[in-house]
Amino acid sequence: MNQADVSKLVSQLRIAVNARHRNLKNPAGPEGRLLKLRKTVTALIKHERIELNYNRADEARGYAERLISDAIRYGDCHKATMETADFWLLEKQLVHKLFKVLVPRFENYNISYTRMFRAPKDYPGPSFERSVLELRGNPYPPLYPDQSQNRNLIHNVLLDEARKEFRKEKIAEVVSKTTASESIEERKPGPNGSPTS
Amino acid sequence: MSVVTKFIKRGLAPINHQIRYSSSSEVAKYRSDLFSLEQKRQREDVGRVEKIEVRYLGLPEDVTLVMNKDLSTPYNCAQHLSEGHCKRSALALINGSVAWDMHRPLKESCTLQLLNFTVADPHIVNRAFWRTCSFMLGAALHECFKEEAGLQLHSFPGPNVKSGSFVHDIVLAARNWKPTPKEMRTFSAELIKLAAKDLKIERLDVSNALAMEMFKDNRYKTEQLPSISAQNNGQVTVYRVGQHVDISRGPMIGSTGQLGRCTISAVHEIGHEGDGNGIYRVQGVALPIGIRIGHFAYGILEERSSKLNSARLPTEPFEEHSTEHAIA
Repeated sequence: MNQADVSKLVSQLRIAVNARHRNLKNPAGPEGRLLKLRKTVTALIKHERIELNYNRADEARGYAERLISDAIRYGDCHKATMETADFWLLEKQLVHKLFKVLVPRFENYNISYTRMFRAPKDYPGPSFERSVLELRGNPYPPLYPDQSQNRNLIHNVLLDEARKEFRKEKIAEVVSKTTASESIEERKPGPNGSPTS
Repeated sequence: MSVVTKFIKRGLAPINHQIRYSSSSEVAKYRSDLFSLEQKRQREDVGRVEKIEVRYLGLPEDVTLVMNKDLSTPYNCAQHLSEGHCKRSALALINGSVAWDMHRPLKESCTLQLLNFTVADPHIVNRAFWRTCSFMLGAALHECFKEEAGLQLHSFPGPNVKSGSFVHDIVLAARNWKPTPKEMRTFSAELIKLAAKDLKIERLDVSNALAMEMFKDNRYKTEQLPSISAQNNGQVTVYRVGQHVDISRGPMIGSTGQLGRCTISAVHEIGHEGDGNGIYRVQGVALPIGIRIGHFAYGILEERSSKLNSARLPTEPFEEHSTEHAIA
C-alpha cells in the first residue's frame, strides 16, 4: 500500500515501452543480452543513425531514451547518472557527448529523443524485420521528405482552402451575432421612452 | 423507400438479385472497340519508323534517348530509366512547358521531364490528377448503377483543386434521389477497385465523325461534341480507362494505380429535365498515392468536399471566355 508511485521516481519516456523485456536470445545469457544492448546504445549515441534488426533496435531504444532523459534530469554532477552513463556507453568519450552535446540539444524537447523506422529487407534473405534507429536532430538528410513545407502539394492546397473557408464561416457567424445583438439594443426604448427604430 | 436499392448493382448496398441485361456495358464495349480500332489505325498510319532524340532532364542523370517518332511515349522513356520512374511519374513535361500524357506518343525531338505528385511545383500535376478523378468517377458510376437507373454521364467541369471536391455531373431517371451512406460507400469502393486494377489511361485524338459514332447513345455528349470539335480543328480528344471512354481535354495522369485514398462524399440534385430525369452532381475528394495525411485532417477534407461544388452547372449557358472548357 505504501509503495511509491514508480512514475514519479523514473523519467516518463515519450515512447511506448513493452510491459516485458525481450530476451534477445544469447549464448551468454542475460549478461550477453545487456552487452548487446550496450553496444547498440553506444553505436546510436556515436553514429546518431543506425540500421539493425527491429527487435534489437526497439529494445535498445528504451534504454537510450532513459539514459538521455536521466542525463537531462540530473545533469553531469549526479553520481548515479554518471555511473549509468559509464555502464551504457562503452566508448568513454561518448559520455562527454551525452552531457555536452545531447543534453543541450534535447533539454527543451517535448517529444521523444529518438525515431524509429521500418527498413526494407532483402528478398530472398533472412526474414528478420529491419529498422532504422536515429537520434532526432541528427545532421544527416531526412529519411522521409518533408511534405508539410511545400504548400503547393495537393493535400496542403486542400487543407489551406479548408482553413480559409472555416475562418470565413466563423467571421460571418461573429458578424451576424454582433449585428443581431446591436439590433436588439437599438430596439430597446430610448431615454425619451420611444423606440429608436 | 429509396429508389437506389433498385438502382445500385452490388457492393455494400442492398442487392436486388436480378439478371442484368447490360446494354450499357455493351455500349461501353462498342466504344472501347472503336477506340482500339482507331488506335490501331493511327499506329499503322505512322508507316516507316523515324527516330527522334528525347533529352531527359532529371534524376538520376540527364540522358539522351533515341525513341520512335509518333510511337514512343514518355512512359517508354521512363522504362529506360527505372521501374520507380514508371510507377511514380504521373505526367510528362515537354520542352519545359507543355504537359503531356504518359501514354501519348511523342511527335518530335524534345526535352522531357517526368513529374510526380511531390515535385517542387505540382500545380499542373494536381490539376491533371483532379481531372482524372472526375473521369474515373464516371467509370466507377457506370459500374455501380443498374440498367433501370437510366444513368447517362453528362460532363464534368474543369478541375479546380481549391474547390475541395472533384465533380461529375450525371443524369438519372429519377427525381429527388438521396443516396444512403452505404450507397456512398459503394461508390467509393468502386473507385478504389478501379484504382487497384492499376489500368493505364489512354488518350486518342479522333475525328468529330468518329466521336459522334462513339457517343451516339448519349444525347448530352452528342450535343456537346460539335462545339468541342469546332474549337479543336475538327478533332476530339477522348480518354479510355478499362472499357470506359469519355471526352476530355486532358492531360490526365498515367495510371489509375496512382489514386490513393478517395471518398465519394455527396450527390446533389442540381436540376431536372422534364418530370422523370434529375441532373445530379456527384462529388468526392481524393489524394494521390504517396501523399498521406492523418484521419482527422482527411475528415476535414471529406466534410468540405460534401458541400455543393460551385463549378459551372451543366444547365447554365457556357461562357465563351472561361479558360477551362465545359468538359475539361
